[in-house]
Amino acid sequence: MKILKTGRWITVSGLALLAAVYVRALAFTPVERTQGMAQKIFYIHLPSAIWAEGAMIFVGVASIFFLFLKDARLDRFAEASAEVGLVFCTLVLTTGPIWGKPIWGTWWTWDARLTLTLLLFLMYVGYVLLRGAVTDPGLRARYAAVLGICGMSLVPFVHLSVYMFRTLHPQPIVIKPSAPSLPGEMLTTFLFSFVVFSILYVGFVTQRYALALLRERAEPHA
Amino acid sequence: MPDNTPYMIAAYIIVAVILVGYAVLLYRRTLKP
Repeated sequence: MKILKTGRWITVSGLALLAAVYVRALAFTPVERTQGMAQKIFYIHLPSAIWAEGAMIFVGVASIFFLFLKDARLDRFAEASAEVGLVFCTLVLTTGPIWGKPIWGTWWTWDARLTLTLLLFLMYVGYVLLRGAVTDPGLRARYAAVLGICGMSLVPFVHLSVYMFRTLHPQPIVIKPSAPSLPGEMLTTFLFSFVVFSILYVGFVTQRYALALLRERAEPHA
Repeated sequence: MPDNTPYMIAAYIIVAVILVGYAVLLYRRTLKP
């Protein structure tokens, strides 16, 4: 299957480039003076966060179109994007507390940004569980589409929570209305990392889409 | 400058393990769909 091979190649390329991101971030990017080495977690935390939110937006958009067009490809894409989004959301919720402990002095706090990100994670978990629980393909696709749209509606609150509430989480320094407030070398490392995480998202989703297709072919009545 | 290198190392290792682990999982699942 061509799409599966393409997905595998993209993923392998992404993982190889991830090694290059590690080398650049750890050896060729300056250490931030106040936070020390823990600041370097930013280069893997923010790209993960962007794709944790971005994947859910894609799930929601594909779900809206699915409800109108009833095109199985949209449902397959939403399924794939949700699972990959769950992986990226797991990365966010893992790397965030690891940065928080040395910088804030605590692994977790019930801050608006953190709590809403946890809700996004639970939304992903609910979406994946729902797809596994409903056996009828038509019902499964429709129920999942509705949940996917609900998940998408949560994303703006996650992103804007730092403006809407008094939070401990840092304000955006890259994705904000004004220019990024990050020194050139650090911004380059972040952009490189973001591109690599984007490649990984595409590779994972392509493979997961192919898996959904393979399963449909293996069980034509499912 | 604070010395918090172990936290950074832990984060980088966990991210690599999760991403490589998911890639391997996807590969295995596509072998036996």
